[in-house]
Amino acid sequence: MIQTVDLCKSFGNLVIFKNINITVQKGECVAVIGPSGTGKSVLFRTIAMLEKPDSGQVFINGTDITRKDININKVREKLGMVYQGFHLFSHLNVIDNITLAPIKVSIMKKQEAQKKAMELLSMVGLTEKASAFPHQLSGGQQQRVAIARSLAMDPDIILFDEPTSALDPSMTGEVLAIIRKLARSGLTMMISTHEMSFAQDVANRVLYIDEKGVYEQGTAHEIFQNPQREKTRMFIRKLKVFSYSITSRGFDMVAMNVQIELFCQKYNIDSRKINHIQLVLEELILEVSGEAEGKQQLKIDFTIEHSEEKGEILITFCYEGEFQNPFEHEEEGDNLGMVLITGVAKNFSHKYEDGRNTININI
Amino acid sequence: MNTTLVKSGEYSVIIVEGRVDTTNAGEFEKAVMDVVESGTDKIILDCTGLNYISSSGLRIFLIVHKRMLAKKGCLKLCSLQPGIKEIFDISGFSTIFSIFPDQQTAESD
Ligand SMILES: Nc1ncnc2c1ncn2[C@@H]1O[C@H](COP(=O)(O)OP(=O)(O)OP(=O)(O)O)[C@@H](O)[C@H]1O
Ligand SMILES: [Mg+2]
Repeated sequence: MIQTVDLCKSFGNLVIFKNINITVQKGECVAVIGPSGTGKSVLFRTIAMLEKPDSGQVFINGTDITRKDININKVREKLGMVYQGFHLFSHLNVIDNITLAPIKVSIMKKQEAQKKAMELLSMVGLTEKASAFPHQLSGGQQQRVAIARSLAMDPDIILFDEPTSALDPSMTGEVLAIIRKLARSGLTMMISTHEMSFAQDVANRVLYIDEKGVYEQGTAHEIFQNPQREKTRMFIRKLKVFSYSITSRGFDMVAMNVQIELFCQKYNIDSRKINHIQLVLEELILEVSGEAEGKQQLKIDFTIEHSEEKGEILITFCYEGEFQNPFEHEEEGDNLGMVLITGVAKNFSHKYEDGRNTININI
Repeated sequence: MNTTLVKSGEYSVIIVEGRVDTTNAGEFEKAVMDVVESGTDKIILDCTGLNYISSSGLRIFLIVHKRMLAKKGCLKLCSLQPGIKEIFDISGFSTIFSIFPDQQTAESD
């Protein structure tokens, strides 16, 4: 169990957080979210006593670990931490990375530690990499080793600080799968993450950190679907919306499509729908940039929003310039792009206000 | 986008893979027209691996179709993924082209 009582931390004059009171019950998984720089990492480090709090207490399994007479190394045996940047020892191979701590604090003999390490490697699916060195592994594999290493001491608690944010998106899945497995095994965990669907999946509770403290907390459903306070609402909305701007005809459509795909994958949107989204956008961009050719600078902004309740995608597509409604059929051209858009869309509309065209499309 | 040409009996089969969109429609047009202009008059476009097409891609299909008509050649499409078939249906292209479930059926028709 983790409990903090009026925990405060600042660096010089910079207050990071004030009076944080949180409790994580045994076996609970708590997700910590919030904008960058609000102190999530510092909070985790302070809980692990890697940073000294200004005031307040941290209780781990009932023991106040801020007390001077506490042997913090002993506490850390039961309190694992996994960081964004893996932090493996580059000069040690995988198995030695995992067995280092247990052998060093002599809770295990070398043989026993190695046997345990192989079990852990099997759990993270990396038995074949036991003698590889960190630089020979992908980011996802390194992070899986880091997780195995944190488990080698048989901790009661693990703090995961953005365990996937340094990873190539194609590798986050393998790491999240293991964390999910651990959450089910009854380990007590805190995890800071920007992976909303993951937090929704595994977290018993979500803490939103802002304004130097726990700004709002609730179940994943409460925080992600129905946040109550202003800043939480804004943060969640931003997480749910993909925005993109185009200012030149030479923009990189391939890169845009990759980003759209990554955004959609976060919401498990199927590939057919992803194709429809990309199709609608490609056709709209062609329509608008073709029309405005040479006339003026291109200025397109669009957002893609996923409405979970309705299972719908909302596209808002804005472009500046003269009134131009592509849904009004023109004589010239084959109109093929608009035929495709209206064919895949559930609803569509156009409006013109203050020199700005806005198209709304539901898919 | 990637195209591969294979000969199968009297047919030139062009295997189309990946995405055909605004960014590569020109490239796609060249690859297919090279085959069309090489003298073959029986072409199958195998779309098994085609997973995205936009209007820019469809227009190339239409150009090829018209050219083959002019040459009195024969153009067939086969193995469209459901998502691609959907786009062909929406655009009305399904009625323009001869579409077959697989290459074998296309060849024996
Ligand atoms: N050792 C330090 N000395 C001084 N300031 C620090 C130190 N560590 C962190 N900070 C500051 O504390 C604030 C919170 O940083 P922290 O890394 O905890 O943010 P975060 O919420 O984890 O952000 P992110 O989502 O980007 O990881 C930042 O303003 C940071 O610059
Ligand atoms: Mg951080």
